[in-house]
Amino acid sequence: MNRREALSRVSLMLGGTLSAPTLLAFDRWSQTTPENRKTGASILNEEQREVIARVAELIIPKTDTPGAIDAGVPAFIEVMLRDGYTKSVQDVFLTGLGNLAGKGLLTASPDQQTTLLKQLEANALANAKAGTVSFWQLIKELTVWGYFTSEAGIKSSLDYQPIPGKFEAIKIKPGQKDFMYGNQV
Amino acid sequence: MNLNINAQKAQTFDAIVVGSGITGGWAAKELTEKGLNVLVLERGYEIKHVEDYKTAMQDPWEFEHRGKITAVSAEEHYASMFFSAKEGSQFNFTNDKEHPYIQKRPFNWIRGYHTGGKSLIWGKHTYRWNREDFMANAKEGLGVDWPIRYEDLVPWYTYVEKFVGISGQAEGLDVLPDSTFLPPMAMTAPERHFKKSVAQKLNRPIVMGRVAHLTKPQPWHTAVGRASCQFRNRCTRGCPFGAYFSSLAATLPAARSTNRLTIIHNAIVKEIILDDHAQKAKGVRVIDQNTMEVREFYAKVLFLNAGTIGSTSILMNSKSARFPNGLGNDSDQLGRNLMDHHLAVGARADIEGFEDDHYFGARPGSLYIPRFRNWGNDKRDYLRGFGYQGGASRADWARGGTEPGFGADFKKKMTQPGPWKMSLTGFGEVLPDPNNRFYLSPDKTDKWGQPQVVFDADFSANDRAMRKDIMNDGAEMLEAAGFKNVTTYDNPAAHMGLGIHEMGTARMGKDPKTSVLNKYNQVHTCKNVFVTDGSGMTSASNVNPSLTYMALTARAASYAVAQLKAKNL
Repeated sequence: MNRREALSRVSLMLGGTLSAPTLLAFDRWSQTTPENRKTGASILNEEQREVIARVAELIIPKTDTPGAIDAGVPAFIEVMLRDGYTKSVQDVFLTGLGNLAGKGLLTASPDQQTTLLKQLEANALANAKAGTVSFWQLIKELTVWGYFTSEAGIKSSLDYQPIPGKFEAIKIKPGQKDFMYGNQV
Repeated sequence: MNLNINAQKAQTFDAIVVGSGITGGWAAKELTEKGLNVLVLERGYEIKHVEDYKTAMQDPWEFEHRGKITAVSAEEHYASMFFSAKEGSQFNFTNDKEHPYIQKRPFNWIRGYHTGGKSLIWGKHTYRWNREDFMANAKEGLGVDWPIRYEDLVPWYTYVEKFVGISGQAEGLDVLPDSTFLPPMAMTAPERHFKKSVAQKLNRPIVMGRVAHLTKPQPWHTAVGRASCQFRNRCTRGCPFGAYFSSLAATLPAARSTNRLTIIHNAIVKEIILDDHAQKAKGVRVIDQNTMEVREFYAKVLFLNAGTIGSTSILMNSKSARFPNGLGNDSDQLGRNLMDHHLAVGARADIEGFEDDHYFGARPGSLYIPRFRNWGNDKRDYLRGFGYQGGASRADWARGGTEPGFGADFKKKMTQPGPWKMSLTGFGEVLPDPNNRFYLSPDKTDKWGQPQVVFDADFSANDRAMRKDIMNDGAEMLEAAGFKNVTTYDNPAAHMGLGIHEMGTARMGKDPKTSVLNKYNQVHTCKNVFVTDGSGMTSASNVNPSLTYMALTARAASYAVAQLKAKNL
């Protein structure tokens, strides 16, 4: 077993906070490091950026609390795509962006956009196979991750307790926000 | 002429301690407190307690990659990626690319080359070994017999526990002897239910994990600047409160306060300098990891605390006319009987109900289930046993990555606590086997010209048989509690090293012909060299080893000082 196999198998076992697509980020030893990772150059064009922002905001929309765009999720996705993923995973992501643009996501009505994403999710679930990663999985997880680790997302949507100072079993009321202890890092 | 004499004097100490980790810190504390001038040599860079924990107070959004190690860093921290290294803590884990090693059979060598060593990244579960642990080899005719018994360590366990500060609860179990405790951490509601169900239906005790965190600091803890745990569970970034035990927070400050401590960093110990006539060590030869300058330091007594593989490598690399195969290696046991705990096997379940139960704070610890196999009247078709660490927690927002749905309702759902889940991970005892070993590569070196370590070890049929019970028994207990969707796992990629409990390779024993160290962790054939980290372990138990290393170190230091005073070293 080589390093790549060993790590991906152990990663799958660990489960926990991050699921297969994110862990597949480490499936990289057979790949060369993309040049833009070293230079910090962007790998996205304007249209691709717009698609990311639109999808992220559909996943976590602005409600009575900030949405994905307010929380800076699109920029986070771009950084992670550049630094965290292999060329092959990047390609899956870029192809997914292109497909959505081709289906007119950027000019569709809000209802049509929701329908497009529902189809995308249904297809991703139907075609999910161990060891593969879909565009939907990637952007969904990156959006959730980016939002709930952002300052705006945490402070508006969770009960932020950076220094709890104690540990105790407690009762909560229905609908009460979850705690955020800042220990996801 | 005078210059030379002065230079030699400046490089001469009463004792040299190699390594500043969990046992090096104890050696430094004990030796300085008993009046010796001590030099600690740390091969890595300097970390200062509190001020160098640069990420300790950072919030998630202050990390560019929100905690995830990038593709490039993951390659550099390959071994550490499996469990603990994250963006906020990767600097506390050794860079494998700069410090390479060879895996003849798979082995993950997870290290911390900096002040404090792995005491900054340890799991902190802290248990005494039991009476049987020190007798099992003799009873079963495996390896060699321990030259000590549990009773020899009792006063030293008590001594180090008080200073370390261990939270937990006395239970009166033979299989898991009690320590001196600070108040235990709390169990969550489903954990209390689990404990009660397993006690009633299976008659197995479940205890709160005993962890080296201050829950009620005592005057001797606050005296070195330590404070109570804040329940942030950001421990691997370094604890600015000094709440968990590390050599940086506890033993090194105690040693420093004697004014008899000198620490030199970036000092890679190349070899021990032997006085051939006296058959004693004179000192050590050291390479500065930045400047490559070679220097020598001298002392009456040497303590090797460089971590199991590090300490034994230094002995192996110290060749002389008297010891052509490495210092103290007449028995050919150096590098052999490499042990670890086998893990990455266990069971999990979903928990229904308890929706209005939650917990405030992030607990740096878990439940512990003591060994029950091959104990008392229980007899299995394999030797020794295993315990579990684990617990129940509520899923948080991260479940949203895999849970279907999106939009406003989805967002709202992720802001609320998710369902409870429970997971149990077994820690199994690995038997001593002379063919499980490491050695120094005859031709591959690192950038300091030092031979690379070659690992050649694997789990045995005994370990694999034990893993079946770990899965089944874990599932049985989760089912006894009425939990749902119980599943088991045994990761095929689990291998030696992942437990980060590397032990053996310079074992203690009664007979110099079959062991390297005597009952005081003293090299049989070179009396002023002591090895008191995991290298000396003769068998592995199934509970975490650090407390036993600490007790052995304090005991050996006391003995060494007495021998020095009696002019026997």
